[in-house]
Order: sequence, then C-alpha cells, then structure tokens
Amino acid sequence: MLQIKELKAGIEGNQILKGINLEVKAGEIHAIMGPNGSGKSTLSAVIAGKEEYEVEGGAISFDGENLLELDPEERAHNGIFLSFQYPVEIPGISVSNFIKTSITEKRKAQGLEPLPTKNLLKMMREKMELLSIKKGYLSRNMNEGFSGGEKKRNEIFQMAMLEPKLAILDETDSGLDIDALRIVANGVNKLRTGDNATIVITHYQRLLDYIVPDFVHVLHNGRIIKSGGKELALELEEKGYDWITKEADKKWA
Amino acid sequence: MGLIKNIKSYSEGIQISAEKREILTSFLSNGFPTTKDEEWKYTSLKKVIANEYSIENKGTIIDSSVIEKYSLGLKNKIIFSDGRLINSPSIKGVNINGFSEFESANTDSILQLNKALSKNGFTISVDKNTALENPIEILFFSTTVNGFSQYRNQISIGENSEVKFIERLQNLNNSASFVNHFTQINCAENTKVEYNKIQNNTAESQLIDTVNVYQEQDSTCNINTLIFGGSFIRNNLNFEQNGSNCESNMNGVSILNNNQLADNHTFVDHKSAHCRSNEMYKGVYLDNSKGVFNGKIMVRPDAQKIDAFQSNNNLLLSDTSSIDSKPQLEIYADDVKCSHGCTIGQLDDDALFYMRSRGIGIEEAKAVLTYAFASEAIENISVEQVKSLAKKLLAKKLNVDLDFSL
Ligand SMILES: Nc1ncnc2c1ncn2[C@@H]1O[C@H](COP(=O)(O)OP(=O)(O)O)[C@@H](O)[C@H]1O
Ligand SMILES: [Mg+2]
Repeated sequence: MLQIKELKAGIEGNQILKGINLEVKAGEIHAIMGPNGSGKSTLSAVIAGKEEYEVEGGAISFDGENLLELDPEERAHNGIFLSFQYPVEIPGISVSNFIKTSITEKRKAQGLEPLPTKNLLKMMREKMELLSIKKGYLSRNMNEGFSGGEKKRNEIFQMAMLEPKLAILDETDSGLDIDALRIVANGVNKLRTGDNATIVITHYQRLLDYIVPDFVHVLHNGRIIKSGGKELALELEEKGYDWITKEADKKWA
Repeated sequence: MGLIKNIKSYSEGIQISAEKREILTSFLSNGFPTTKDEEWKYTSLKKVIANEYSIENKGTIIDSSVIEKYSLGLKNKIIFSDGRLINSPSIKGVNINGFSEFESANTDSILQLNKALSKNGFTISVDKNTALENPIEILFFSTTVNGFSQYRNQISIGENSEVKFIERLQNLNNSASFVNHFTQINCAENTKVEYNKIQNNTAESQLIDTVNVYQEQDSTCNINTLIFGGSFIRNNLNFEQNGSNCESNMNGVSILNNNQLADNHTFVDHKSAHCRSNEMYKGVYLDNSKGVFNGKIMVRPDAQKIDAFQSNNNLLLSDTSSIDSKPQLEIYADDVKCSHGCTIGQLDDDALFYMRSRGIGIEEAKAVLTYAFASEAIENISVEQVKSLAKKLLAKKLNVDLDFSL
C-alpha cells in the first residue's frame, strides 16, 4: 500500500528526514516511536503533503502511484488520513459542516453525488456513538475551545467518517485520559478491515496495549534505526531509547 | 464633459423650487467632494464623475421573471422600475407610497444634490403597535443606460412596532450607472428595525448610499450591509440616538475582487445615556480591490453609561489589494465603555493544510476559511433568506460550489 524509499526531506535547507525506508501493507498496523524531535511529525506531514517541507530525495508511492506528485487534497481523496498531533482550530465552521464539506469534496473527486444530508447525519450519529461523543458537539465550531482530548477525539471522528485506507495517528494518545484512550483505541480497532492500514505514532507503550501493532519502528534523528515486532515497544518502555540511539549516533556520526 | 456638466445642462431644463435651485447652484460651483475632503480622503470620485450620464429616466416594464430572479421570494415586495413605483404590497398597519419631500438634519453635499434632484423613492410609515412577521423586500430596478439616479426614501416606524426590510438595487444592463441613494429611518419609542442591504449590482455599477437613522428611547435598529458586486460603493450610515436605552447595530460583509472599491463610513452619535452600539465589519479583498472603513463614534457630554463596540477585520487575499481602516472616537462623557479593534490578515496556512488533508481542495479550503471569517457578521442577520443568499454569493464570488450549511 505505502512504500517509502530513502526519503529525505527538510525545511529551509535543514534536513530533518535523512533517508527513511518503510513499507506498509494492507491490514497492517505499524507503530513509530522515538524521542521528541526525531522527525515523526515531519514524516507524517510529508506523507500527507505539507508543502512547507521540501522533499530532497527518495520516493513515496501509495497504491502504486507516486504520492509526491499529488496535492494534499488528492492524497486525501486517494485514502490517506492524518490525525494531527496539534489539530487546528477553524472558527466559524461547525464540526458537522466541516465534515460534510470534506466528505462531499472527496465524493466529488470520485465522481459521486453528495451524500443526502439524512444519510450523512445518520452516519455521524453512528460514529459518534462508537466514539462516545456527546450530542451538541456537531454544532460546535471546528476544534474551537476544544480541550486537548476533545480535539483528538474529533480527529478520530473525522477518520471514522472519511474511512481512509491509510490512517496516520500522530500522538493521538497524548492529551487523552485512560478512559478516552480506551474509547479511541476501540474505535480505531472497530474501523479496521483487511483493506486498510494504520500508522500509530506514539511516545508511550500504553496505547499499543489497545492498538496492537504488527511492527514497531524507532525513529531517531531522521532515520528508522530499529524495527521489530510488538515486543520492541515493551522493551523500549522498560529500557528507554538510549541503548539504541547511542549506537545509531555512533554509526551515523 | 463629465457628470458636473450633465447635471448643469439637465438642471437648466427643469422646473424646481428656488431653494433647490440655490442648492444646485452651490453644488455646481463647489463640485463633488475630492480626496482633499477629510471624509473622502481614501475614496476618489474622480473616475466616477468623469463619466457621462443620462439623468432623465424613462421607466420600462419589468418582466416578472426578472423580478423573480432578483427577489428573495418574500411575500411583501415593493418594486421600482427606473424610480417609478410599479408594485406595492398592501400590509395591515403599513402605508406605502412613492416619493415625498422631507428634510434631513444630517446632510452633506451629496445629500444636498439628492435633495435638489430627487423625484423618486418610497415613503413608508408603520403604525403604532405593529409587529410585521414577514419582512418587506424593496427592489429598485434600473434599465437606463449610464443612468445617474437619485432615490430619496423615508421610513417612519410608530411606537412599539417591529419591521424588517431587505433592499436591493439592480441594474438590468451592464452600463456604468451611478445611484445617489438616501434613506432616512425614524424609529419611535420601543421600536425594532432591521434593514438589510444587498449590494450585489452589476460589475460597472456605482453607488453612494446614505442612511440616516434617528432613534427614540428603547429603540433598536440593525443595519446589515452585504457588498459583493459593483465597481464603486460608498456607504454612509449615520445613527443619532435621541433617547435612553437605544441600541444601534451594524454588520457589514464585503467580498471584493477585480478593481472594486467599497467604502463603509459609519457614524454613531450617542446623544443620550444608557445606550449601546455594536459594529462589526468584515472585509475580504482579492485581486486589485480596495476597502475603506471609517468608524466614527461620538459620545456627547451627557451620554453616560454608553457601551460602544466597533470591530473591523480584514483579509487581504492578494498582494495588490488594500484596506484603509480608521476608527474615530470622540468621547466627552466619562462613564463610557468603548472599544474598537482593527485587524488585517491573511488566511492561515496551517488551517489550509488541515482542510486540504481532509480532502477539501485549496480553493474550497480558502472559501471555507473566508466564510468562517465572515460568518460572525452573517450570523447576526435574522432573515434566513438573506443569510443563505449571503452564503451563496460568497461561494459564487470565490468560485466554489459549496453551501456552508448543515
Ligand atoms: N516547520 C518547521 N520549521 C523548522 N523546524 C522544524 C519544523 N518542523 C519540524 N522541525 C524540526 O524538525 C525536527 C523534527 O520535528 P518533528 O517532526 O516535529 O519531531 P517529532 O514529531 O518526532 O517530535 C525538530 O528538530 C524540529 O524542530
Ligand atoms: Mg511530533
């Protein structure tokens, strides 16, 4: 589904990603862990198409197509979804209106008519129930005045509505208390099919108790320095990152 | 030639009172205001008055399909064709007539010209204790090529009454028409008035629109101005509060492109204590468009306990668009809450990327953010049909197919 080869990207001449290789197949869950500032959010933003970052080398393909040639909205239409580490407040537009617009635009790109409002509202209610989202939330302005946890839940709500092929969850767990974490993880699990895939970016092993990854990668200083199975997350939880980052620093010094 | 000469030769052939003749003579010798005039510093009439105009209007029959096209479909419609009243609804408690002469206390040279030349307009008086459920729609159609028209309208609302209006001036050809429009609204005690102006005329049309509002105690008057179409628009809104517990509200949304210019001049004269005024103007400027905002708030010495709030927020969406914004506060009372704020900004890149990552195309994302920016003012409009028209026109102006509603 997603293939990243030797990806190098940065901003204003400052290289942040220094050669990333990653392959994600349909049905898989990958976890990306790593210390602060290692480039996790940059990687997800580059996959989603943030133009601020300059791709200096390497390639990304998604379902066989060169992703780097597509605009962010085209990537979304093709099934990529990024749950932002810091979701943006959009005052003046309600959650329901926002989601309606994004679904309508996605359907438009696929040559489909807009979903009738009735069906859309029904779908919203179902997904809200799945994520234990309270009524009244739909008419609030997009992320405006939302608590950290509410913003994250809103991200997953949008994901549930858009049904992406590849979801990238950038620190969706931060800001969530344990109950909310369980609800969100449960939602993510329920949305899983054999055809979609998830990349979970997290600092903590905790989320991975609920969303169990097939692969765990450690990102450090713009490179994936170690990959393994779900046990790797437990090992990192226990020993921290030092034992692998030191080795890597020596190698790339 | 130019407009001054057009007016001169026109005035030589008409019969008017000695008073009007004197006004005209003085106007013709002084000419239109120039940018040397403080009130016209950022808005030049030079190009407008260099054109040739036809002052005599013929008046033609307007097809009902045309009326339908520009109407909001409300039951109560007052319709003018080249200044002639061609349709007037009968509403219980409301008297609607054509033009009548009246004086206005607050006047400038443009209004003097209006007084001397106007023969058209409406006169509406609403009885006491009349609350109208349905808004009154007022449509001025113009079929004259390069017409220069003066409309002079007066609305008097009787005590304890409540009325809403929607007004639209519509050119039925693409010529450079110029309208000098004046409306006086007298709000008696305990009245509620909402006046919505849809300024979406043809691309070359030009307008100077003045509204003078005189409020008695416990009255509320809201004026909403939606500017989408027209090459030159100057709005003057003047409120005079003559009793306690008055409220004057203004909402403005301008979405301009190409070489459009829109100038909103507002003036609230707080003459009595315990009153309020709120103004919220949102401007969006694309291409080479230009905006001007001048908000004057005067609080007279005896007008204590005044709450006056003014905001003017602007989005400049191109490198060649501009806005001149000027608050003018003159406060002579000491127990007053008065605030004003002006912002000039661009669309937020992070928000744009956020939306694009959700599948919303860049033009649509810009439109959503622009709508979000303007929506606070649009939401203050109480007539649903006006609100949804505003959303439609906004989408159209930004070239997107979005309806902003759910
Ligand atoms: N927009 C930006 N401008 C400048 N530096 C940036 C920008 N985005 C990321 N960086 C830098 O790139 C590095 C990686 O950041 P980030 O991808 O946010 O890391 P992580 O998500 O792993 O904490 C950091 O050193 C950060 O300061
Ligand atoms: Mg991050």
